[in-house]
Amino acid sequence: MLRYDSTSSSAGSSSGSLSSSSSSSSSKPPQQDIDGLLAGAGYKVRSSELRQVAQRLERLETAMGNSPADFSQLASDAILYNPSDLACWVDSLLTEFAEPPPTCSSDFIVDPVNNQTVVNSAWTAAEPHTPQVHQNITYDEQQSLDNQLTVVTAMEEDSGIRLVHMLMTCAECVQSGDLSLATSLIDDMQGLLTHVNTVCGIGKVAGHFIDALSRRIFQGMGGGSVNGGSAFENEILYHHFYEACPYLKFAHFTANQAILEAFDGHDCVHVVDFNLMHGLQWPALIQALALRPGGPPLLRLTGIGPPSPDGRDSLREIGLRLAELARSVNVRFAFRGVAASRLEDVKPWMLQVNPKEAVAVNSIMQLHRLLGCEQTRNSPIDTVLSWIRGLNPKIMTVVEQEANHNQPGFLDRFTEALYYYSTMFDSLEACRIQPEKALAEIYIQREIGNVVSCEGSARVERHEPLAKWRRRLSGAGFRALRLGSNAFKQASMLLTLFSAEGYSVEENEGCLSLGWHSSPLIAASAWQAVPAWDNHMSSS
Amino acid sequence: MARSNEVNLNECKMVVPLNTWVLISNFKLAYNLLRRPDGTFNRHLAEFLDRKVPANANPVDGVFSFDVLIDRGTSLLSRIYRPTTAEEPQPNIAELEKPVTAAVVPVIIFFHGGSFTHSSANSAIYDTLCRRLVSLCKAVVVSVNYRRAPENRYPCAYDDGWTALKWVNSRPWLQSQKDSKVHIYLAGDSSGGNIAHHVALRAIESGIDILGSILLNPMFGGQERTESEKRLDGKYFVTLRDRDWYWRAYLPEGEDRDHPACNPFGPNGRSLEGIKFPKSLVVVAGLDLIQDWQLAYVEGLKKAGQEVKLLYMEQATIGFYLLPNNHHFHTVMDEISKFVSSDC
Repeated sequence: MLRYDSTSSSAGSSSGSLSSSSSSSSSKPPQQDIDGLLAGAGYKVRSSELRQVAQRLERLETAMGNSPADFSQLASDAILYNPSDLACWVDSLLTEFAEPPPTCSSDFIVDPVNNQTVVNSAWTAAEPHTPQVHQNITYDEQQSLDNQLTVVTAMEEDSGIRLVHMLMTCAECVQSGDLSLATSLIDDMQGLLTHVNTVCGIGKVAGHFIDALSRRIFQGMGGGSVNGGSAFENEILYHHFYEACPYLKFAHFTANQAILEAFDGHDCVHVVDFNLMHGLQWPALIQALALRPGGPPLLRLTGIGPPSPDGRDSLREIGLRLAELARSVNVRFAFRGVAASRLEDVKPWMLQVNPKEAVAVNSIMQLHRLLGCEQTRNSPIDTVLSWIRGLNPKIMTVVEQEANHNQPGFLDRFTEALYYYSTMFDSLEACRIQPEKALAEIYIQREIGNVVSCEGSARVERHEPLAKWRRRLSGAGFRALRLGSNAFKQASMLLTLFSAEGYSVEENEGCLSLGWHSSPLIAASAWQAVPAWDNHMSSS
Repeated sequence: MARSNEVNLNECKMVVPLNTWVLISNFKLAYNLLRRPDGTFNRHLAEFLDRKVPANANPVDGVFSFDVLIDRGTSLLSRIYRPTTAEEPQPNIAELEKPVTAAVVPVIIFFHGGSFTHSSANSAIYDTLCRRLVSLCKAVVVSVNYRRAPENRYPCAYDDGWTALKWVNSRPWLQSQKDSKVHIYLAGDSSGGNIAHHVALRAIESGIDILGSILLNPMFGGQERTESEKRLDGKYFVTLRDRDWYWRAYLPEGEDRDHPACNPFGPNGRSLEGIKFPKSLVVVAGLDLIQDWQLAYVEGLKKAGQEVKLLYMEQATIGFYLLPNNHHFHTVMDEISKFVSSDC
């Protein structure tokens, strides 16, 4: 199965995009001082700090020298963050295991450090974690990942390779407008499909791409919305996708964990879910809040979703079910549904956020739909990010497909999608339950159709990789909250419980991604609005 | 009886550049956190801490990479690194497995180190090393993501190495134009060196030709405590205690370090006299506490009449080949390049 997932960021410029809470008048970007050899090994240390880091490593070593066994136990219990940032990593360990380090002089820390204490917390999956403090150090996250392509292959059947070749040639023809050649290629490919196993592997996913290309050619550009299914249908497909593979479970799990931690200490909390669907994410959070030491808060949930055409109020129905669950575990709960066909139609006043409550904004694969094709000043994404920021949420959880499906060039987009969805289909092979698997495939197929055969406002599946989201969100006045080793461990454990071998969780500068055979497919991150008075960026 | 830590650390810092010291000390520190006294391993934390990099089909400095699933049953992945050619500076993504075009292309099957327990084929340090090997030797490098201890004990790592060898040998696109055969070398550092030896051993009766083995600070040991182990214990990043832990984690339960996996020329070992074993390049770091075992390995090969070249780098510590900031690094890289090109 040929699969490829590319993270190419054409814009690539990082010069202004230091974290927005940079305190500095010192305008030296930290990168220039980074030790290049250690960077190659995955660690960011400034050359000027090397000696200090070395000294601290020594102190740690001395502290640990006497009873190394104790430290593996302590390591099991601690929550650790961002191992790439060596200086802070070593400091956090020192604080954890030894006496605190001398005060860091401010000229080598980019941002004000709130508090570097890392708190002990038991690993039990059932209990919510309550760390007291987050390590909120933001870090310039411009990576030299521009123009990167990850490919994993597993088979060399000639006909499979030929099929891929032809698909790309066909896409190239479509891009250059040579529709008659494209059409004849479609015919050839359909012929070739009969020689290839279409039950699984490249044959199956190729079939979907051939269909999508076909539709694009014969309907003309901007041809219809492929997601012609009703909201009801989409919800069913989504639910089966949720059951058949771990991507959505990972998303919910990771987001819930972060939200739980963000809500710690607050008695009135309000979750705004950008896409309620069947409310699959929320029972777990409600239960976790119920078990919170000190008792649950008052929980409000505002669920956004498409309007129901037939007079049913599906949002309300889901709200009622969730309320029932909340009642059964003694969590005071209030639900509000906001019906909107597009996220950009939602206005903040509809959410009725109370200034006293702690707000969590939860976006599972929704932000990319706002990217639209026009990069104007007040594009939907800017508008929405701006009002989110205005709500000053305690946390914004963002999960997005780790894919580059929003490039302007059709061929590039097509190629990316081919490899991305091949990987995803490959991972679905491990699923044995029906009809979950079949319906999950239709769910994915619809996404493929949208990426390949739609344009303009009809093309909503405009996935962008995490590196791009980082820049976008930092530029919009958000800073990343780190997801730590406990979230990582829980995600890994989730995989062992629910899934086949072959999935892997990876940590990348505070964000977690879930992938299949070393290719990340979905990435989760958590954000907080930077207070306005800290923001040195020119207003957007 | 360890000498005071203070002296150790100072000596250590005098023989390696500061950034190397920070890198290896950080590994040492992290690894201490991961090994539990009861022999279990904190795998979740290990994966969280390991710095990994994705494969990249876009060439960087003339090398591109992609991952291949070699065996679905064991989820055995390998990362393939290839050089670009003058004719094709940008590989076509549908043709990553395009046949190699040169008359002779060495294919190096690489086994990363980590004492059978740590690291992966996609660990940043090993991705970097493999890329260097491609440029250096004009080779294709296949880095095997073998199963690790303690979850997967002996012989899993060797089985995976063997699977990878058979896979490489059967790829038409890796055959050199000159003779339509795959020109295979095995290479590895630390536990990877140990794996290379045992895979070479397994290959003996198979008819698969291995042109050479490159062992960088290979991980061997034995029950006896050798002079170098006693002298260097704890002095240059490594302790006997951690070595013992890793052997206990890898070897079958109840076996001691004279098991042939650990001590191939020891009391339970097998003589290679009269056997067609590939020529070996063995690199030993003079400040590595297990050097007596590595030197004994070289002796074992010599006594059996096998071709072996020893590179003894006096002032080198473990991991010297990870960063190109010392002369041992460059010396060894030159020798590797000569070793691999000598059959062209």
